[in-house]
Amino acid sequence: MSFLSSSNSRSYSGVGEARNGQRRSECFARFYENWLAEQERDLADLRSAAAAAAARGGGEEEEDGGGRRPLQNLVDRVVGHYEYYYRAKAASARRDVLPMFSPTWTSSTENLFTWVGGWRPSTAIQLLYSKSGLQLEARLSNIIRALPSPDLAGLSPAQLERVDRLHRRTVRREREIAEDEAAVQEAVAEARMLEIAQAMRGSEGTEAAVGEMRGQMSGKEEGMERVLEMADELRVETIKGLVEILEPIQAVHFLIAAAELQLAVRQFGMRKDAEAAASVANGEREPHLTTVIRPAT
Amino acid sequence: MAEICCDVATGAEAATKEPCEASSRAARRRRIEMRRFRFVAGAEAMAPAEESRKKRPRAEGAASNPEGSASDGTVGSGSSGDMSGDPPRAAGSIEEERAHEGSRFGMISVCGRRREMEDAVSIRADFVRGGRFDFFGVFDGHGCSHVAMSCKDRMHEVVGEEIERLREGAPSPTQGGWREAMERSFSRMDAEVQGPGQGSGSRNPRCRCELQTRKCDAVGSTAVVAVVGPTRIVVANCGDSRAVLCRNGVPVPLSSDHKPDRPDELQRIQAAGGRVIYWDGARVLGVLAMSRAIGDSYLKPFVTSEPEVTVTERTEGDDYLILASDGLWDVVSNEMACDVVRTCLRGRGGGAANGERELGSDRACADAALLLTKLALARQSADNISVLVVDLRKRDL
Repeated sequence: MSFLSSSNSRSYSGVGEARNGQRRSECFARFYENWLAEQERDLADLRSAAAAAAARGGGEEEEDGGGRRPLQNLVDRVVGHYEYYYRAKAASARRDVLPMFSPTWTSSTENLFTWVGGWRPSTAIQLLYSKSGLQLEARLSNIIRALPSPDLAGLSPAQLERVDRLHRRTVRREREIAEDEAAVQEAVAEARMLEIAQAMRGSEGTEAAVGEMRGQMSGKEEGMERVLEMADELRVETIKGLVEILEPIQAVHFLIAAAELQLAVRQFGMRKDAEAAASVANGEREPHLTTVIRPAT
Repeated sequence: MAEICCDVATGAEAATKEPCEASSRAARRRRIEMRRFRFVAGAEAMAPAEESRKKRPRAEGAASNPEGSASDGTVGSGSSGDMSGDPPRAAGSIEEERAHEGSRFGMISVCGRRREMEDAVSIRADFVRGGRFDFFGVFDGHGCSHVAMSCKDRMHEVVGEEIERLREGAPSPTQGGWREAMERSFSRMDAEVQGPGQGSGSRNPRCRCELQTRKCDAVGSTAVVAVVGPTRIVVANCGDSRAVLCRNGVPVPLSSDHKPDRPDELQRIQAAGGRVIYWDGARVLGVLAMSRAIGDSYLKPFVTSEPEVTVTERTEGDDYLILASDGLWDVVSNEMACDVVRTCLRGRGGGAANGERELGSDRACADAALLLTKLALARQSADNISVLVVDLRKRDL
């Protein structure tokens, strides 16, 4: 459906509007850069908290004794930082939803893993299972001997059961949201749209047709904004749901893994895009669509 | 049996042990009733509970559902008591329960890395009129979950009826008798899931294939069923779920996976005019990666529901029975599973007073099942994972 991609429709929609859209996009890109810097700071705090807990021995009793509260505060702060991101994103999407679906602030590698304008919510469960698996293998002998394991290796039956329940709910919601997205996207082929499309090819009345198209599109953009809102809600709910199930120290380990993965994929993606752009500039490579649209930053 | 309930157990620790009434049948019934109530409470009201209330009381610990069905309980063992927010229960009843010799178990069933949940686990303590037998079943569905769910809901009733019939003829049945009873049960179960209107829809409104009319013949399930009696363990299996007995620290498989490339299975399929095609592993007609299953009528007779049955006399050296879907067995060997469970239970056993040790051992079944599940997840098992651990050791060792 590239013939209706945002860049095309933008070219019809007047220069001023396009510039506004660009400005909003740049604005959110700056916000995102700042947010990531704060994310780096959070990651450092999470890591030192985990290291301190490990140095204390990290037994559960010890945690109850006083280490627990500060850990919970830290976890709340980091989760709050995610929520802050999605509040800002929602506000930006309300002004203009288009940049959210063709972000200029992410690398093409990050875009590979994008689902409805962000990361796929069920990824969080997989992330938990992977991190838990790594920590389990590292501590297997302790776990078997029932020694306390104050990290994700120590998930209890009740916790695993709740994670599984959250998993199924998240997958179900993903499917429902994908259905809603499908309904909005398929509406692009409504009969009315075909009439407008035909009129736009005609020799006269093109401007009127473009106006009609704008009206039609704004309804569809609203539809996608609602879909995006639901997807972002699900992302937040999934993170909060997991953190709620986990003990504070476990949540710290989970949030470390989440931030590390996010930042690493981004770092790799930016580097890769920059390399691709550089090799085009040096004439070593044919220009690639992505590198033309998205110059290296 | 249906205990484990860690939080309850802590309360029960201080409770007095009153086994005096335990021998009476009535008391046993009453305990089971209470226990079942707890399951229902813990696992958010499961559908079969109501139906079985009409019959005589039976303990139920069934869990694992496709997403969205009424009960989402995925961890069992009476470890529904593990769920936070469970109502407090009479601690005394736990102690009483412990006094009789039913099996103790722990169970976990999770979606894991898959997006569909097609495993189902069924645990029915004391499920045969006039005999002390416990039923354990693991069903790993394919195509959709409804055949596995039907097995979970019905298999114990069918097997129970067949055992009752068998015991009417001979109070202590022969091995051949057991074999026939299990074969009849599987055949009846297979007919039920293929009967008109069975399975799809009614019980399972979220069933993925509900819209595909009744042409749901590409759906099936493995079934590994263990009937644990006072002297024998009868295991019937079709498909690639597996039952392993840990005896004297050594794994003894009580079932043999039905893979299309198992030489005798290959021969059977070819003799029936079928083919095994290697396409992402050996598959019957290039489709199904197992050679026996409940359901799958479109692959009959190459894929059969006829189980292989083993009848094992219980010995002093029997420690635990592990039933699991291939989500576990694909990444954890029999030896490893046995080692983990043994170490897990031994790790909890030592040093405590008698009551506490019993208690620990119940909880340990759930912990052992949990650990195996986590190990499977850690080893990147790509499938649903269901693990059931039954403690076979005598209570007062």
